[in-house]
This record gives sequence, C-alpha cells and structure tokens, in this order.
Amino acid sequence: MKVTVNQDACEGHAKCQAAAPEVFEVRDDLSTVLRDPVPESLRPQVERAVRLCPRQAITISEG
Amino acid sequence: MTQLSPVDIDLSDDSIFERGEAHAAFATLRREAPVHWNPGGERMKGWWDITRFEDVLFVSRHPEIFSSERGITMFEPRDPNEVNPAGAGNGIMLITMDPPKHVKLRRLVNKGFTPRAVNAMEGHIRQITNQVLDDIAKKGSCDFVLDVACQLPLAVICGMMGLQKKDWPLMFELTNKVLGSGDPEYQTDVPEDQRGTPDAARITGQMGVMQMFGFMSQQLEDRKANRRDDLISLLVDSEFEGDKLSDTDILWFCFLLILAGNETTRNGISGGLLALCEHPEERARLQADMSLLPSAVEEMLRWASPVTHMARVALEDTEIRGQKIAKGERVVMWYPSVNRDDAAFQEPNRFDITRSPNDHLAFGIGEHFCLGAGFARLELRVMFEELFRRFPDIRLDGPPERLRSSFIGGIKHLPVAFTPER
Repeated sequence: MKVTVNQDACEGHAKCQAAAPEVFEVRDDLSTVLRDPVPESLRPQVERAVRLCPRQAITISEG
Repeated sequence: MTQLSPVDIDLSDDSIFERGEAHAAFATLRREAPVHWNPGGERMKGWWDITRFEDVLFVSRHPEIFSSERGITMFEPRDPNEVNPAGAGNGIMLITMDPPKHVKLRRLVNKGFTPRAVNAMEGHIRQITNQVLDDIAKKGSCDFVLDVACQLPLAVICGMMGLQKKDWPLMFELTNKVLGSGDPEYQTDVPEDQRGTPDAARITGQMGVMQMFGFMSQQLEDRKANRRDDLISLLVDSEFEGDKLSDTDILWFCFLLILAGNETTRNGISGGLLALCEHPEERARLQADMSLLPSAVEEMLRWASPVTHMARVALEDTEIRGQKIAKGERVVMWYPSVNRDDAAFQEPNRFDITRSPNDHLAFGIGEHFCLGAGFARLELRVMFEELFRRFPDIRLDGPPERLRSSFIGGIKHLPVAFTPER
C-alpha cells in the first residue's frame, strides 16, 4: 500500500510516529513517510495512525 | 424528516451544566437516542444532539458535509434578522471557516503552535507559573480559579499577542462576558433583577463582543504604527492569497485567539485539580511518581472536556447512524459525552491517570483540531509540576461553582487551602 501525508495539513503532532514508528518520522514539525510501498503487515499500525492523526492528514492508497 | 424522540432531554437548558448533571443526561442520550432531535424553541431553531464517539468522529472528519460557517454553537435564531453577537464572525474566524480556505488561513499562524514552537516556550511558561504561585504562596487559601488557573493561560496568550499587563484583567472580564454570557455572575451590564434571562445573556454577549472589538481596534492601530514581535504584528504583515488581511479579519482573529487561549485552558487546569481532589488514590499515585503527569494530563482533559460542544450545519442531505439529517439542519457534537462513551473507552466513568489508550476528543479532531492543544497540554503539565512541588497538600476548601453554560465546561470558583510557604 502507499501512504501519504498531506503536508499542508500536518502540524507535527507525531501521533502517527507513536502509532507506527516503522512508517512515520516527524522532523521539523512535519511527518515523513519512511517507506514506499509500505508492507501490508504494517496496515493495522498505519490504520491506527490514520485514525489518530489530529489533522486527518494521512491517506492510504492501494498499489 | 424529523421525528419526536422518546427522550425528553433539553441540553439548551444550561442550568443542567451549572448543576453538574450533564453526564447523567448524556448517558441517557448515548443509550437511548444517540442522534437526538431537539426541536428548539420559539426563537431558536432545532438541532441534532450527537453523543456517541464514532458519530462525532464522522462529523468531524467530513467538513465538506458538515459546515462550520453558520456558527459553531447550538443556537441559531429562527429570525435571520435577530442579532447574534458572534454570528458576524461566521466565515471570517478560523473556527467558523470551511476548507479549502480554512487550512490556508490556518497556515499563516500554525507555525507558532507546532510542538517545536510550544516546547521552546516551556521555560517562559514555568517562569509565569511560579510568578502566579508566588502571589498565593503565603496565603494558605485562595480561589484557585481566579488566583491560579486563569492567570497562566491569560498571561501566555496575552503575552503572545503583545498586550500590556494592565490590560489582562479586562481580557479576562470580556472573555467571561462573551463565553459566560448566560451566567448571571457575568451579566454586570444588566440590572440585577433582570439577570438570568435570555435577554440578559444576549446583552452580555453583545457588550463583551463590542468591548473586545473596541479594545482590539486600538491594539491594531498601535501595531500598524509600531510593529513588535507579537501575533498582532504578524497578522498585520500577513498576506492571504496575495492580499493583506483586512482589519475585520485581523480583529476577529484576535477575538478568537484571546477567547480560545484563556478560557479553555483555565478550565482544564481547574477541572484537572478538581478531578484529582475527588480521586485521592489517583492523585496520590501521581504525586508519588510525577513522571505519570503527561498521561494524567490526558485523563484530566478527557474528564473535564473544557469545550462542551461544537456545532455544524449539514450542506447536503446525509445520515448519521441511520438517522436522516436534512440539508440545513444543525448537528451538535457533545465532547464530554463522547469522552465517556463505553464504546470508545473501557470503564469510561473511572478516572485513571494511566489510561491507555486514551484517544479522547477534548481538542476535537480533523480540520478544526484545536490549534492551541500543544500550549494547553504544556500549561497543564507545568502548572501541576510546580503546584504539587510547592503546595503538595493543596485541597478543596469548599464546593466548586460551575459556569451556567452549555458551551464551556467552566468552573468559576474553586476554594482551596494549602500549607503556606514560609
């Protein structure tokens, strides 16, 4: 799956990094996706990150 | 479209909140009518009460369906000509603005509110906290709200906006008039025998808004003549889509910053101390290991839910939990309710300072997630670190007096006693 962070919305709250540290890293108040594609095995953590993101900045797309 | 509900609970009766009975009402609504139609009254349109966690998530995450631009409180006058004090700011303030404009305007200021920017303020916030505590140190007792809880957030936001210390009490007074307009204690512009009425609330809110604008207009003129290192100067020089912000835009921005910056955190601090005093075992656990404080702060926020509701208006016909919501109808999200929804929290009525996970919605979520959440969290943490370091035996010295409001979960007065410092 492909995971993206909307950089206009992200404010660096780092909930994603806490939920899925293998996938997200927050640097300079912005979240970066570390892997592309993100392995399917990490889907539960990524989905939790999507759910917790205060700014609703994370999307998962397939493929 | 709308149907009579079997549950007869009217959350526009703000004395429910003043008496501290809202949680019982919310529990009934969550169980029996989670999407509950309140028909409103002679002057006010009806609205849907939304009390379940998942439903508030849904509404929050669909700003394209649920708009903020027709106001974010439950009250919408039936008569469009009726004066609604804060209604003039609809569509102008961040909090009453929809995407895509909202996210662009928010970006003008959000760099000042990111975790890094907030963390850089910790030393400053600790210094203010200790100055506030110095003023009560020898007293042995005080009103925790007036003497402590309101002082820190007021100093922080007024400082960021570059307001002089002599003006801070006025900001406190006007905030109370605007956000506590329904409470007789703040209806000082109305003769005593007329306080407590809907008219008194409207007059009080109007006076608060007008006086705040009068004050902020002077500040704006001052910053136009002399830029300083503060948020008002930043707004004066900001451009939005190639244009400078208008005076009206800036004044509403300042209005929002002052209100949001001081009332909510004040009630987070007061509500937090009250919760800890009412749960002595949890408090003892915290004071024995202050490294639990960040987690305890989250639980205080869940427990106190300083913002009681936010409203949205449906831009199209839609559905929540199978209930049809018609275009133009108002939905009201009740945060204290969702934060005690047993579908989202195990044992939600237990105050547990190590609750994990604790994904409360005290700051909302999505497009309008509280811009100042980082400051609120930091101010709570530093306040309780310093408070318990200096006054470890601080305790209630009388019952709390709650604000009569369905919008802000406020505490007006909280008598406390403690061993004074020598």
